[in-house]
Amino acid sequence: AAAGLCPYRALLARRGGALRAFCGSVRGLAAGPETHFGFQTVTEAERREKIYRVFESVAKKYDVMNDSMTLGIHRVWKDILVHKMNPSPGTLLLDVAGGTGDIAFRFINYVRCVRERQLQQKIRHHQNLSWQEIAESYQEDKSKSLGDSQVVVCDINKEMLKVGKQKAQHLGYSEGLSWVLGNAEELPFDDDKFDVYTIAFGIRNVTRIDLALQEAYRVLKPGGRFLCLEFSQVSNSLLSRLYDLYSFQVIPVLGEVIAGDWKSYQYLVESIRRFPPQEEFKAMIEDAGFFKVDYQNLNSGIVAIHSGFKL
Amino acid sequence: KMAAAAGGLRRAGWRLWRGRAVLRCQLSPPHRTLQASAVLRRVSDEQKEPLASSSQQQFDSHPTNHQPEQEPQGSRPSYTGQGGQESEDFESEEQLQHRILTAALEFVPEHGWTAEAIAEGAKTLGLSAAAAGMFHSDGSELILHFMSQCNTKLSELLEQEQKLVQLGEAEKKPTDQFLRDAVQARLRMLIPYIEKWPQALSILLLPHNIPSSLNLLTSMIDDIWYYAGDQSTD
Repeated sequence: AAAGLCPYRALLARRGGALRAFCGSVRGLAAGPETHFGFQTVTEAERREKIYRVFESVAKKYDVMNDSMTLGIHRVWKDILVHKMNPSPGTLLLDVAGGTGDIAFRFINYVRCVRERQLQQKIRHHQNLSWQEIAESYQEDKSKSLGDSQVVVCDINKEMLKVGKQKAQHLGYSEGLSWVLGNAEELPFDDDKFDVYTIAFGIRNVTRIDLALQEAYRVLKPGGRFLCLEFSQVSNSLLSRLYDLYSFQVIPVLGEVIAGDWKSYQYLVESIRRFPPQEEFKAMIEDAGFFKVDYQNLNSGIVAIHSGFKL
Repeated sequence: KMAAAAGGLRRAGWRLWRGRAVLRCQLSPPHRTLQASAVLRRVSDEQKEPLASSSQQQFDSHPTNHQPEQEPQGSRPSYTGQGGQESEDFESEEQLQHRILTAALEFVPEHGWTAEAIAEGAKTLGLSAAAAGMFHSDGSELILHFMSQCNTKLSELLEQEQKLVQLGEAEKKPTDQFLRDAVQARLRMLIPYIEKWPQALSILLLPHNIPSSLNLLTSMIDDIWYYAGDQSTD
């Protein structure tokens, strides 16, 4: 029924003035409170749908656009996130809004390296054991290259997951990786399941951030860590002006040229401006029940990593 | 704005509750524990707990009233808050961190003074290994925690000796022997970790760790001299 109403509402939205105000009150009853989509004001239901459509259309060119918009620096940001996480083998990671799998792949690489180092150290320890003891230890030590670590990539958008799965196949990632369709505001997982919850450049697209944070708290094990990588507010005023210039003049043009989609990238830069600044977001995370909440600015605040623990 | 104010009030109320809980728990915390917590907070760049620290400072007026360093495990208030970790919330984050580090010490001979040892320690407490992310990844907090524990044990030892002398049950040792015995006792505490101790020292020499490690060293020396009879204030 909601789907049927949507195009009708969208039609009404195009008429301005008094008619809009009237329809606004009617819409309000049916579709939920008002919120923002970039710099527009829409209802929550509309926002969810619009965002779904944005990512549906950019899914195939998502990685290319990321590289061209950030001049490849987004790779460094994601590397820093995984380094900060410092996962040990056996960690269970939930990557929400992880669409094309960037964080998941980096996690797998990192854990593989740590695991190799662990195995090497074990061999060094074994140098004073007898041959028999060493052979016996091979049998108990299953020698999995990932050491039981697992990552679950969860995304609300089927297209993004599809692109992610194709990438995984292409790059040869198969072990320890799962793809789940799910909404960050209502995760299809049980309580106290994951060691780490990450959301990279996804939380500003969530309509009810507080619900997503509560869900994050719920699915994390006690002692588990919440990590969020997101665009944030730039503190330096000169840099801020250059950044604004770049965001509003260059990025939508790149979007049109590379992905053939001006509007989606217009939405993207607007949504960055609408996202709460570092301290406010930190307070929201604390409200969800996390402790030791802290943030680290990268590139003077263009991007920030927020971290919290479920204690 | 109203929502933000309400959120702020809620958080302030929450912290007040926590502060009160900490007050109730700690009857008279030893001088050393206060210093240890200050060191931990300085070493890592986490948020401060202004209310918790102010409540601790109230009890700082008894520097000579040493009590064995303990985590107030028996007297934690029971509170059914959110989630499964109610007791941890009201134990305060620092106390939980102390518990994790103490648990991590038994894994040091195997893993060294590293984040892995801290992760194993967290696991024995029933927490996820990701809790080790609360600490610096070089393992320095584990070493400093261990050192401050040793220093506390040393000052207890010295105080007990002093009591015996005051009660007349033991002879007062000449200064040089006193110092020798004190230093030897302190060094013996390293024996279980002696294999990995060089690693610990090298980590403590890293520039960002030097202030805290020097601080612990000088306070230990102060302690030894205090019990050796030196009453000067420098």
